Amino acid sequence: MPKVRLRRALVALLALIAIYGIAAEIGRGRLPDRIWMGSHYVENVQLLPTFGALAEEGTFLLESRILAESIVASSRRVLIGVLLGSLIGILLGLGTGWAMRFEHLADPWVTLFRFTPALALLPLYVAWFGYGETSKVLLIATGVAVVALLGAHQGVRGVPRAYLDAAASLGAGKRLVFRRIVLPLALPAILASLRIAIALAWVTIVVAELIDAKMPSLGYLLALSGAYPRVPQMLIALATLAALVLVFDFAVLLLHARATRWMKRTAS
Amino acid sequence: MTAPVLEAVDVSYTYPGPTPTKALDGLSLEVKDHEFVALLGPVGCGKTTLLRIFAGFFQPAAGTVRCGGSPIGAPGWQRGYVLQEEAIFPWMTVRENVEFGLLAKGLDAPARRTIGDEMLTLIGLSAFEAAYPKELSAGMSKMVEVARVFATDPSILLLDEPFGALDAQTRTRMQDALAGVWDRLRKTVLFVTHDAEEALYLADRIVVLSPRPGRVKAEFAVDIPRPRSMETRFSAGFLTLKRRIWETT
Repeated sequence: MPKVRLRRALVALLALIAIYGIAAEIGRGRLPDRIWMGSHYVENVQLLPTFGALAEEGTFLLESRILAESIVASSRRVLIGVLLGSLIGILLGLGTGWAMRFEHLADPWVTLFRFTPALALLPLYVAWFGYGETSKVLLIATGVAVVALLGAHQGVRGVPRAYLDAAASLGAGKRLVFRRIVLPLALPAILASLRIAIALAWVTIVVAELIDAKMPSLGYLLALSGAYPRVPQMLIALATLAALVLVFDFAVLLLHARATRWMKRTAS
Repeated sequence: MTAPVLEAVDVSYTYPGPTPTKALDGLSLEVKDHEFVALLGPVGCGKTTLLRIFAGFFQPAAGTVRCGGSPIGAPGWQRGYVLQEEAIFPWMTVRENVEFGLLAKGLDAPARRTIGDEMLTLIGLSAFEAAYPKELSAGMSKMVEVARVFATDPSILLLDEPFGALDAQTRTRMQDALAGVWDRLRKTVLFVTHDAEEALYLADRIVVLSPRPGRVKAEFAVDIPRPRSMETRFSAGFLTLKRRIWETT
């Protein structure tokens, strides 16, 4: 079944590429190559670059190692930010879900962060920590922590009463209940929230990098390609970002599948 | 005459809320050592409430409950409790389920394994030790829950309609399985059910409760010899008693 699904996905992807290729060929020579940038005209713009133009740009980006280095730099920021943010968020969420007293104490703080879009903190973090790694990683961590916290909190609160009662009457103490009942049951919700958090982390890093004029960085590569504008570079940067989000998401999906092996599955 | 192991004297309980519901009203009950008592009554008569009081989840609003002569405290393995709802841990294998109470008791792995083996053999599910509950039928799941409680070696078992959600045939099979386990271990059992035949087949004594608020309406000693079988269900003694119970309820 998954094999069939994979094949269908591949077919759909190839169709998309083919349609793009045809559109680009039709557009060649017909689309305007001179565009108004608000204050000046730019000549020789390929609005819909052909495969040839994309291959040429791709070769340049690969041979100059710009793309590889940008992928590493941006992925590293996302990875560290996600790890830091999810660690803090999960611990807090488990705490607020498990202990009422802790929830009441933590709630005002959580609410404050929850209703502040993480991206809005960008100028503040830049002012505090400067451009560079710290402000970016912390910005991602802030956004991720809030989402992971909510996931962990809901996960703990969703543990059915019957399991807790059964465990208590089997003589299980609080620590055992937490480790063997609450944690495994909260894990699927935590991992589901991490998938959302990772998508958010990539949005955050692109925005944070757009305003930091320093390579290597996928976000700034995108900013540069927009300044000329250089559409082939833009498309390659976008496709790379999409692929990276997919890879990160797939990694969490694998963890999620492992953590839910015991669940009843409806026929897929 | 031995002293009662489980005792309720004049117990009342009211569920709080916008419409407070009086579940139990001045109920008194005794269960003796090694006795199998069935608590029989219609849905909503407070059977589960009484069991949860004995298990230690609720405090009675009035009256006293005692276990082995002392007041009942927090829930614990000494009073093994099988919930009415499905409470097998679906994220654990069958063996991990059966051995969970032993883990809570602090037994080491080899000791858990020995008792786990014994219990799995007793309920005939040794082949399923590594399976997750999703692979079990509803009847098998419930037997795992019963075995999980038996494994901790409680002095008293509180069973809340363990076979209530099963079809008639499976229920009969599970009753035989339970009777078999009980014959070997002879624990004190308080068994809640709304099925008169099930009560008769399993119990030494049947306590009939009135509709809400629950109080004891009648009591019947079941002097039918063990082991009981399919023949028992159609014997004259069984049917006479069944009729008498039907007439009181």
